[in-house]
Amino acid sequence: MKYLAFAFLFSTSLMAASPEVVQYMNELSKTAKVENSSFNGFDAARGKDIFTSTHTGKQGKPMACTSCHTTNLTNSGKNALTGKVIDPLSPRTNPQRLTSTKDVTKWLKRNFMDVYAREGTAQEKGDVLTYIMKN
Amino acid sequence: MKTLLNLSLAAMILTGGAFLYADDEREEHEHHRSSMVAQPVTPQEKSTVALYTKECGACHMAYQPQFLPKRSWEKTMKMLDNHFGSDATLDPQDHKTIQNYLVSHASKNDQMSDIKGNIALRISETPYFIREHREVSKKMVTQPAVKSFANCNACHTQATNGSYREREVRIPNYAHWEE
Repeated sequence: MKYLAFAFLFSTSLMAASPEVVQYMNELSKTAKVENSSFNGFDAARGKDIFTSTHTGKQGKPMACTSCHTTNLTNSGKNALTGKVIDPLSPRTNPQRLTSTKDVTKWLKRNFMDVYAREGTAQEKGDVLTYIMKN
Repeated sequence: MKTLLNLSLAAMILTGGAFLYADDEREEHEHHRSSMVAQPVTPQEKSTVALYTKECGACHMAYQPQFLPKRSWEKTMKMLDNHFGSDATLDPQDHKTIQNYLVSHASKNDQMSDIKGNIALRISETPYFIREHREVSKKMVTQPAVKSFANCNACHTQATNGSYREREVRIPNYAHWEE
């Protein structure tokens, strides 16, 4: 029991996310395990690759998450189409980030569609969230 | 001869000034009226406007609903999965709230189909917009500080407050364009 409590504290302190988003991550983790039996936890390095690599997006043009959010998550970004400023993604710099599951699921859906022209898998979503949390 | 020239010049300046003044007055009146419609009063209206500003204003200016007629907003809301090339889909409840807000505050003047007769999706395709921006050159709009006509507040300094008075216009890098 003591060990469990410690593990819980450790994992939440590592995760710069609100309890509701941590709960969402746990659900993603369960789905990822169902979808891929060799799944062994989320990985920030895989998340970084998802975030920084370029793909043929929804518009048939090369696009990356960094096209709007830049490679430094502690900086503001700019919407590549409209030029509108986007507040930093890093929860360290912007405490509003990763506080609402509703917002997180909305943006993951939209942005995977824009950059990858498809929705992300549970594992991909968890990986990319883990990467954002560590920045 | 010189006096005559001076006189006619003075007359030109006077009439020009009066014309500009009148134009500004008319514009002020129109937009004063339309921005009053959108002014949220009840707590529910305030939360609807806050939702609209949060959701639509995340990527671009939250345009005043009066700039497009009902059928334009309905068409826009029907195709949010491909919103000018982006996925802008909403949670079903929020979708409903925002659609109701846009439709109930839409322009009552439905002469706003685009010049080809299609239902205009872009405010910048409506005849009214085109007429009002006829003196604005392409260079002014496509420059990086503006990007496109979608970026109202790049030049209309009070656009987010619903005010588009001519005297509030500041085109970046074209400080004296009208002089």
